[in-house]
Amino acid sequence: MAPDVFRLDDVSVSFRKHAIEERSLKHALANALKERPAAVHRALRGVSLRVPRGQHLGVIGRNGAGKSTLLRVLARVIGPQVGSVYVDRRCHVVPLLELGIGFQPDLSGIENTHLAGALMGYSYAEIEARLPSIMEFAELGDFIYEPVKNYSSGMYARLAFALATDVEPEVLLVDEVFGVGDEFFMAKCVTRMRRLMAGGTTTVFVSHALDFLLAHCERLVWLDAGRIVLDGAPADVAAAYRCGAGQRGEA
Amino acid sequence: MDMASRRFTWLYAKSQLKLKYRYTSLGFLWNLLEPALYLAVLSFVFSVVNRMSMGDYAVFLFSGLVPWRYFEKVVTTCMDSIVQGDWLLKKLPVSPFALPLTRWAVASAEFGFSFLVTLLLLTFLKKGWTVHCLVLPLAAVPWSLFALGLGLICATLFTFFRDIRPIVQMALMFAFFSAPILYRPQLFPGGSLQASLLVWHPITYFAALFQKPIYSGRWPGGLDWAVALGCAAVSLLVGWAAVTRARSRFYFFL
Repeated sequence: MAPDVFRLDDVSVSFRKHAIEERSLKHALANALKERPAAVHRALRGVSLRVPRGQHLGVIGRNGAGKSTLLRVLARVIGPQVGSVYVDRRCHVVPLLELGIGFQPDLSGIENTHLAGALMGYSYAEIEARLPSIMEFAELGDFIYEPVKNYSSGMYARLAFALATDVEPEVLLVDEVFGVGDEFFMAKCVTRMRRLMAGGTTTVFVSHALDFLLAHCERLVWLDAGRIVLDGAPADVAAAYRCGAGQRGEA
Repeated sequence: MDMASRRFTWLYAKSQLKLKYRYTSLGFLWNLLEPALYLAVLSFVFSVVNRMSMGDYAVFLFSGLVPWRYFEKVVTTCMDSIVQGDWLLKKLPVSPFALPLTRWAVASAEFGFSFLVTLLLLTFLKKGWTVHCLVLPLAAVPWSLFALGLGLICATLFTFFRDIRPIVQMALMFAFFSAPILYRPQLFPGGSLQASLLVWHPITYFAALFQKPIYSGRWPGGLDWAVALGCAAVSLLVGWAAVTRARSRFYFFL
């Protein structure tokens, strides 16, 4: 069996409620004196999960189920308050939690490619070498020299997606980023994703597009209220989810 | 800090500097003009208040004010750097040090420009240059590290307690007006309360690192170096420990 890229053991993540008013000295002092227990929202509750290298995993669940929090834990953006997280540091993990993270509106497409590329762990020279293929995929023409604030949302998404996937990461974490751009762009993205997946990139998708996940994933995890409800073959999990989540929706 | 965060810090700081002047007609020249105009106005006003010859007072003022402005800018801009970096820290596993370090790097580059302008202005105002001015690049190091350390401490505190900002601004204002930057320490007779307070004011020693070589034509004393480097080391250590200890909790407060 392939070695694990991710291993989560009994992971829990909680967010404090009323966090806005708590960000003051007055509130901190009052809390310290009265020792009031803070109200919390538990985004993940005792999640245990293993993702072997090369696997294509889909995560489904209703809004607020904890899918994005789970992806952020895998991306090491959030550290769990309870439990342990193992991430294989030898693997190059690219989190695609949002298209265009790190883009600065006033910088040109090329400047932003270098800046966002650095965030993904690539050197200036590496990005420079990949610029022609990034530009070709993004189809921006001379707009690549314009500030990205002048781009349409489609142009912005094309550049961001081209950068994130051109570098051929070993692990890709994708959070609902296919909802932008026209259908031709979507088709291009899917083709590129298929190529990456066929090439051995481990992928974790968070999506509401169940049909996409059924077509591309070999395993599905259903999350609800921060807990794993079902983990298994895509067809079984999808059927159970449609039935279970649908009944909830009616209720 | 990992390699990706280091590369990002460098590129982000460069882009921030570039962007600051990209849409201005005079471009990078503002880096030189801005401090020149500021110093010219201040030296005119305060030479009248202090009843000193404008040239003499300007030399004294510039030598303390230019590093202070740098120090103040680093502390205040670092303070909200983590909070304003939520667009990054909530999406990618970037080291939280990258954001205050970017602000520090930008302010340091601007300080370099300001310092060049100061030297240029001083060539007209100062009579007789001495070899002691060679120590000035070294004298900037304690200022820079002290500012970065305090900036890291403030950035951590501000993430959890947003009402820290006015307190820090008041503290900086108090430190500025109570330090011998606008006035000379010799103004107060020895043994007076004011003179005793200046002895305990850390900025007195930091200011001396620039004032002695530029204004008095002397080397900074051993005590000046010891106090300045000691404060810088302690603040940097506390700042680094504060960010390191709190980094896992930042996400929940952004």
